[in-house]
Amino acid sequence: MGSLRLLAPAALLVGIVSAISIISIALTAFGLMPLVGQPRLSTDAFGALSSDLWLGLRESFVIATTSTILALILGVPAGLALVSVSRIRAALAALTSVILPVPHLIGAASIGLLLSGGGVLPRWLGVAPSDWPALVAGSFPTAIVIEFAWKESAFIALIIAAALSSRLTELSEAAAVLGAGPWQRLRRVTLPMAAPSALAGAIIIYLYTLGSYEVTWLLGRSYPEALPVLAYRLFTSIDLTARPQAAAAALLAILSAVAIAGVGIAALRRVGVLR
Amino acid sequence: MTSLRRSAAGLGSAVAASLVLAACSAPANEAVQDDSADQPWEDVVEQAQGQEVSLWMWGGDPQGNAYVDDVLIPAAAEEGVTLRRVPVASTQDALTRVLSERQAGTEDGDVDLVWVNGDNFSAGQQAGAWLCGWTDQLPNMAFTDPDDELLTNDFGNVVDGCEAPWHKAQFAFVYDEERVPNPPTSLEGILEWTSENPGRFTYPAPPDFTGSVFLRQALYSSAGGAEEVPLEFDQGSYDDLSPALFERLQEVEPDLWREGETYPRDSVALDQLFIDGEVDFTMTYGPATLTQLVENGTFPQTTQVLQLDEGTVGNASFLAMPSSSGQQAGAKVVANLALSPEQQALKADPGVWGQFTVLDADLLDDEGAALFEAIPDSPVVPPYAELSEGADPELSAQWVPALDEGWRTNVLVE
Repeated sequence: MGSLRLLAPAALLVGIVSAISIISIALTAFGLMPLVGQPRLSTDAFGALSSDLWLGLRESFVIATTSTILALILGVPAGLALVSVSRIRAALAALTSVILPVPHLIGAASIGLLLSGGGVLPRWLGVAPSDWPALVAGSFPTAIVIEFAWKESAFIALIIAAALSSRLTELSEAAAVLGAGPWQRLRRVTLPMAAPSALAGAIIIYLYTLGSYEVTWLLGRSYPEALPVLAYRLFTSIDLTARPQAAAAALLAILSAVAIAGVGIAALRRVGVLR
Repeated sequence: MTSLRRSAAGLGSAVAASLVLAACSAPANEAVQDDSADQPWEDVVEQAQGQEVSLWMWGGDPQGNAYVDDVLIPAAAEEGVTLRRVPVASTQDALTRVLSERQAGTEDGDVDLVWVNGDNFSAGQQAGAWLCGWTDQLPNMAFTDPDDELLTNDFGNVVDGCEAPWHKAQFAFVYDEERVPNPPTSLEGILEWTSENPGRFTYPAPPDFTGSVFLRQALYSSAGGAEEVPLEFDQGSYDDLSPALFERLQEVEPDLWREGETYPRDSVALDQLFIDGEVDFTMTYGPATLTQLVENGTFPQTTQVLQLDEGTVGNASFLAMPSSSGQQAGAKVVANLALSPEQQALKADPGVWGQFTVLDADLLDDEGAALFEAIPDSPVVPPYAELSEGADPELSAQWVPALDEGWRTNVLVE
C-alpha cells in the first residue's frame, strides 16, 4: 500500500498525459476530431493507408528487432567485461559514459556523415560513392540499426554491470570453491544473474526504437517509411484531411508498442523481475 | 489538441471534458479581417514598442538565417520591436503550430509572422488562420507595383492583404561545369542526359518544397509547355495531364541516383550529394544564394546556373500573420521594415542573402534606386531580369498536394 502511494504522483502524471493523447489520437483516427469539416465516425483513414500502414509496421519491427538483438550482442559482453576484467574496466566505463549522453539526433547525423556514399569512411577507404553499399537510406535500414545498436549497447552494458556488481564476485568465488570452471561459472552464475536486467533493457530498447522518429527519418529511405515517420509526414501534410491518417498511423504504432510491452511484462514476471 | 507534440508536452491545459467538446466543434474557417487596418501608421508604431515578434521561417538556409539574425533583428530593435527567429525544418511545421493554436483558441500565439507562400499559405487560408487586409496599412507597400501578378496572386490564391511580400524567387537547376561540359538546355534534355549518365541525377522527394517545384516544372515539360496546363486546378486536367508526367518520371527512375530506390529527403540532402560528387546537378528555388555558396567553397568554383529554354517557374514569398498572433502591431512594423528599400537592397546583395527584391524600380526615389544599383553582379548567378525571362507561372496551390500525392503512389511506391 505504501509503495502504491509513492507511485501515485508519477502514475497520475503519466496516466493523464497518455490518456489524453491516446484518446485524442483515437478520436482523430476515427474521424471524430477533424481539423476542418464535420466530425463523422469512419475508418476511412485506415483504409486509405492500408498498404503504407502494414509496410510501415514491418519496417518499424525490422528496425526494432535487429537493433535490439545487435545492442544485446554488443552490450552484454561489454557489461560482463565491465565488472570482471579489471584491466579494461576504466576504459570501458569511460566509453559507455561518453556514448550514453550523446543525443540520438547527433548520433544519427554522425553515422550519416560516416557511412553515406560521400561520407568519411568511403573516403578513407578510397571507395567511390557509386561502389559504396547503400548503408544510409538503403533497402535494409543498416545505418539506423547501427546507430541504435551503438547507443543502446552502452545502456545495456551499464545496467548489466549495475546488476552484477553487487554480488557477482562473492557468488563466483563460492562457485569456484565448489569446483566450477570459468565456463561453468559464466553459464551457471554470471549469465543467470545478468539475464533479468538484459531482458528488461531489451524491452526498453525495443519500445524506444519502435517509436523513435529522428534517427529513422534522418537515415531512412523515402519509402516505405517506419510508422513514426509516416505519422509525422501525414501530420504535417498541407492536406488538412490527412490528419486522420496521421492519427491512424500513430494509433497503430501505439497499439503495437503496447502489445510488445505486454509480452515483455509477462516475460519479466516469468524471470521473476516483476511479481 | 490533436497535435502529437502538444499531447506529448502540454499537460495542464487539456482536460478530458474540453477535449470531447473540441471534438464536436472545429473552429470557423473564414478569414479574419484586421479590424485595426485603418489605424494611422504612427499609432501602430507606438503600439508596437516593446512587443516581441516571433518570425517562424524555414531554417535550412544559413544565409537567410544570418540575414535575419545580423541585419533584420538589429533593425527591428531600432524600431523598438524585439524580433525572434524561430527556425523550422519545414514551413508546414509553423502552419501545424498555427492550426493547433487556433484549434485551442489561443489569443496570444507563439507565431507572429511566417515566411510562407503557395500551398502552405493556401492551407492556412482554407482554415482561416491568417489575419487579412492589413498589408495596405504598411507605408512601404507604396514601393511595390499594385498590378504585379506575382505579388497579388500567390500560386493562384488572391493575396487579399493576408500576407506582405518579401522576395521573389526563380527556380533554377545548378550544375558543375567541370563535370557536365555540355549541359542539356531543357527539362526533357536533363532527363535524357540522366539516362545517358545513370546515377548522376536525382531530385528531392516531394512533398519537399524543391522536389515539389521540380514536379511542376516536369509537368510543364511533359504536357508540352506551360501554356498547356491550366493554372486553376480541376480533376479533369489532372487526370489528363498527370499520367504522362508520372510515366516519364517512372521511365527515368532506374537511371536516377541509387536507381530511384530512394530519393534525397530534401534540397539540403540533394545539395550534399552534389557537393560530395554523388550527383552532377542540384536545383534551388533561391538561386541567388549560390554566389555565396561558391565564394565560401561549399559549392565548386565551376558551379553554373542552368537556364532552361522553356523558362522556369517563378514565385514570390511573403510574410503572413496568423490571426492568433498577440503581437500584431509589432508584426506589422517588422513586415514594413522588411519591405523598406534599405532592407530589400541589403537582402538582395549576394554577399548577404541574395534574394530578389519585390520592390518596383520605377517607384523608388533616387536614393532607393541607388541602393540597388550598388549591389555587385554575381559571377555565378545571372541577374533576375535574365533569370526570369520566359518565366512560367506557378500552378494554383491545389495542384501541389495532388501532384505530390500522385508522385508518391505512381512513382515512389510503384
